[in-house]
Amino acid sequence: MASSSSSSVDQVSRRTQILTNHLNQSGFAPYSSSSSSTSLEFSACINFSPPELSERIEFDTKEMRKLLDAHNLEDRDWLYGLMRQSNLFNPRKLGGRVFVWPDYNQSMEQQREMTMKRIGYMIDRGVFEGWLTAQGPEAKLRKLALMEVIGIFDHSLSVKLGVHFMLWGGAIQFFGTKRHHDKWLRATENYAVKGCFAMSELGHGSNVRGIETVTTYDSKTEEFVINTPCESAQKYWIGGAANHATHTVVFSQLNINGKNQGVHAFIAQIRDLDGNICPNIRIADCGHKIGLNGVDNGRIWFDNARIPRENLLNSVADVSPDGQYLSSIKDPDQRFAAFLAPLTSGRVNITVNAVYSAKISLAIAIRYALTRRAFSVAPNEPEMLLLDYPSHQRRLLPLLAKTYAMSFAANYLKFLYVNRTPELNKAIHVVSSAFKAATTWHNMKTLQECREACGGQGLKTENRIGHMKAEYDVQSTFEGDNNVLMQQISKALFGEYIAAKKGNKLFKGLGLEHLNKSCPVTASQLTSSTLRCSQFQTDVFCLRERDLLNRFVAEVSEHQAQGKNKEYAFILSYQIAQDLGRAFSDRAILQTFTEAERALTGGPLKEILGHVRSMYALITLEEDSSFLRYGYLSTDHVAAVRKEVTKLCSELRSHALALVDSFGIPDAFLSPIAFNWLESNSWSSVQQQLGGTTFASAI
Amino acid sequence: MNATSVEVSDQFYCKNSELCVVHQILVEKAGGVRKFILNRPRQLNALSHKMISQLLHLFLACEEDHMVKLVIVKGNGRAFSAGGDAASVARDIIKGNWKSSAAFYHDCFSLNYLLATYSKPQVSILNGIVMGGGAGVSIHGRFRVATENSVFAMPETALGLFPDVGASYFLSRLPRFFGEYVGLTGTRLDGAEMLACGLATHFVSSEKLPALEEALCRANSSDPALISAIINGFSQQPYLKDESAFHRLDAIDRCFSKRTISGILLAVEKEAVRCSDQWISAALKSSRTASPMSLKLSLRSVLIREGRLQGIGQCVVREYRMICNVLKGEISKDFVEGCRSIFFDKDKNPKWNPSKLNQISESMVDRHFLKLDDEGWEDLKLPPRFNLPAHAIAKL
Repeated sequence: MASSSSSSVDQVSRRTQILTNHLNQSGFAPYSSSSSSTSLEFSACINFSPPELSERIEFDTKEMRKLLDAHNLEDRDWLYGLMRQSNLFNPRKLGGRVFVWPDYNQSMEQQREMTMKRIGYMIDRGVFEGWLTAQGPEAKLRKLALMEVIGIFDHSLSVKLGVHFMLWGGAIQFFGTKRHHDKWLRATENYAVKGCFAMSELGHGSNVRGIETVTTYDSKTEEFVINTPCESAQKYWIGGAANHATHTVVFSQLNINGKNQGVHAFIAQIRDLDGNICPNIRIADCGHKIGLNGVDNGRIWFDNARIPRENLLNSVADVSPDGQYLSSIKDPDQRFAAFLAPLTSGRVNITVNAVYSAKISLAIAIRYALTRRAFSVAPNEPEMLLLDYPSHQRRLLPLLAKTYAMSFAANYLKFLYVNRTPELNKAIHVVSSAFKAATTWHNMKTLQECREACGGQGLKTENRIGHMKAEYDVQSTFEGDNNVLMQQISKALFGEYIAAKKGNKLFKGLGLEHLNKSCPVTASQLTSSTLRCSQFQTDVFCLRERDLLNRFVAEVSEHQAQGKNKEYAFILSYQIAQDLGRAFSDRAILQTFTEAERALTGGPLKEILGHVRSMYALITLEEDSSFLRYGYLSTDHVAAVRKEVTKLCSELRSHALALVDSFGIPDAFLSPIAFNWLESNSWSSVQQQLGGTTFASAI
Repeated sequence: MNATSVEVSDQFYCKNSELCVVHQILVEKAGGVRKFILNRPRQLNALSHKMISQLLHLFLACEEDHMVKLVIVKGNGRAFSAGGDAASVARDIIKGNWKSSAAFYHDCFSLNYLLATYSKPQVSILNGIVMGGGAGVSIHGRFRVATENSVFAMPETALGLFPDVGASYFLSRLPRFFGEYVGLTGTRLDGAEMLACGLATHFVSSEKLPALEEALCRANSSDPALISAIINGFSQQPYLKDESAFHRLDAIDRCFSKRTISGILLAVEKEAVRCSDQWISAALKSSRTASPMSLKLSLRSVLIREGRLQGIGQCVVREYRMICNVLKGEISKDFVEGCRSIFFDKDKNPKWNPSKLNQISESMVDRHFLKLDDEGWEDLKLPPRFNLPAHAIAKL
């Protein structure tokens, strides 16, 4: 330091120069005498500019929201308001805005109690009116709409309600008869009883027919006796069982006079009205989980617990007082299939919920990408907005397009479900399996990408996305493991194929009618306009489905020819089964999109949806290796697709804000980084002691 | 539209020539502080179209003027402002000139939006009546000083209107369901209640107001923290009277969180049976005498359906569509009828049509939210806001 050589002086002055340049570049020029600014406000290095100021809105986002939410918009907004206005929903003020999300920093016990308190608040305000007692599609749609809104606030809350209304309530509706309906539905709707749904066991999850709980009948007392014969038969993951549920539907093998009649459902009380566990019932907690800690999952053991004979849910089978087994459905397979109906409603719910979760994360990540800058392209230029990077567009915008596509798919499934007839049951089972798997996988992928796209901010619980990964992970498992569901779809399609070929009949239903026509041919050269043509997109999706179905049938038959039984042949053909399941889902989703588009008469809305649909179709072509693997597209084709995706990215970039605004999710349900993150992270926001504010932040 | 732009330039000259004293708005200058005094005391400072236009231009000019640090708005006489000049609006409609009424609201809502997004602090001294349009020129600003003389109300439902002037924004942001209660019943709040619910930011005894104004002028600052500290120095914690409805938030929640007007009325009736508090019987009475169409519009459409979830810009654009539909009177003529019974014939016995809630279909309510199918009619164009402080923007 002592050496005062000229070089060290040079260094100092050079450093000073560099520092000054830095300060000047970023607009922070405290020493500049020529500054013309007379503003007394502190001039920050970076200014926050709301995306609304720079982005253009070129279509009616309200109309788009109508299309996406599809029904009960006012009921939804009413419930958003109910939540936003109550302290129970943990409102927090950040950057002058109110946000609501549960306090995930609370202990598991506290979160569970908050879930119940929120339910209590909604009971008092009539949110659940008619959820089980009202008839008709309108009531069902209202229930689904409100469930969606609840899920946007918190997945635990929606799952807790889903168990009580859809599973417990649904089981009584579908498996029960009038005596059960009269006794339980009203009581369930007003929470006089709290229900749960004891199906899965430690040793058996997806394979319900293998459960080990056993029920016998005692004709002397006219009671059923439920027993957990071994540890693997303990009921596991039973939502509501650990703390709150008073009653449960129990799935059990029914053993009458030494003969097993297969799985049946019973009502058993597990707690008295004071919350004490009933005799001959043992309950343990499933403990802390990676997410959904607002739901009290528990385990149940039955020690020869006795229940009245009337508690058998007897819509498909009954036991007479003297102990005779009676059923109108002789085939145990069919009897079992009848039991699966309530799980369909669960899958509908999960499908829709997954899409809304993806919407939340995209709305946040895209709004952030429209306000956050990083790196300049050239010196002295302002830094670039994240969403102006083609790479960032490529990360988020295809996911946005897929979310739109799946939103239409979810709506289709919902309407299919609420207007269902017995003939539609099979179709609903297949479509709900396909869409449940597709949307929940899509959601997890979207959450991860959005988390990363928000950088470090994505890791804060208050910004929702990162935390939602843990909250929604379970969706790929409950109500049917996604991989198992994909195999079930392929099996169902196999069945359709065999039935059509054997009976020499046409394919009908499940959107398979295209198999009756001749095989579509792909053009050798794919121009931009071909790629964006919905006929081309449909053709190539159909081509894949048709070919994979043929291959699947061939492979299964080959295994069978080698002496393997049919089930094992399916198991061995898992790779094509998986590809086929995806091919079916993708084609069905695309079909719902084109149908939604067709219902529009024209105008900017239809035009933008055309771009979004093309993005959905082309990104699927680009990402799914089966197109190349089986040669539905050549490498040249795929290169053309890739180029077109890039073009679509830059076209959708200018509509990104409008497209996420159209999701209609109120600001309070997004997160601070979706808005002025500079202000919400400012020192004054830490202090929160600035008196007198604009109206929004005054209260 | 051309006529308006001529007015703009008139006012502009007025400002530039420094002759800012106009009859209905008095302007006082003290350093960087501008005081706008609403000056129609005999009409309780009801806001005429002229006053609205003047305020609009004054505020715009002050925002550009680097010398101006702070704007104080107050009223001359015993009112801050009793609202927009509804009687003259109604007279225009009766004369078949609903479009000039629409022009009035156009400017009025533009002003409300301007104040809500204003870049300089506004201190409103609410020493008297603050109703309807009076709330619109004060509540959107940063500092609202109530006194023992303050009386706040949004009485539109009794007039066949709905809470406008951006009230769908600020009422819907009151705690819990107090906003629904205030907007639907038109109940009066005193200064202590205004402070408690957040409509006011400070409470200052009226005798201290001259000293407060002087202190603000002396400080000559735009710093919100400093201004707040100065007002705090004159503030006191007022006593919230025992019978105040604000102590009854649980009961208000029970009633006013309901999804529909009929649900709310039913709940209010039930509540009135349970207890005989004055607030609930008043609520029952006012909701029975209000225009059924107004109630439906106010609740379903303004408070619950939209306002709570929208930014101030979206709120006033929507309110403008609604008010134009009301003024045109194709769906219901309740506004003119309300004015007849209160301002002209003074019989206080309006004959609402439709007279019952169940005669109003969803689609009749819906129609109020659509663009008008009328030649030359356009959606409210919000004044462009540059250098907008980001906290001021909800969603444009």
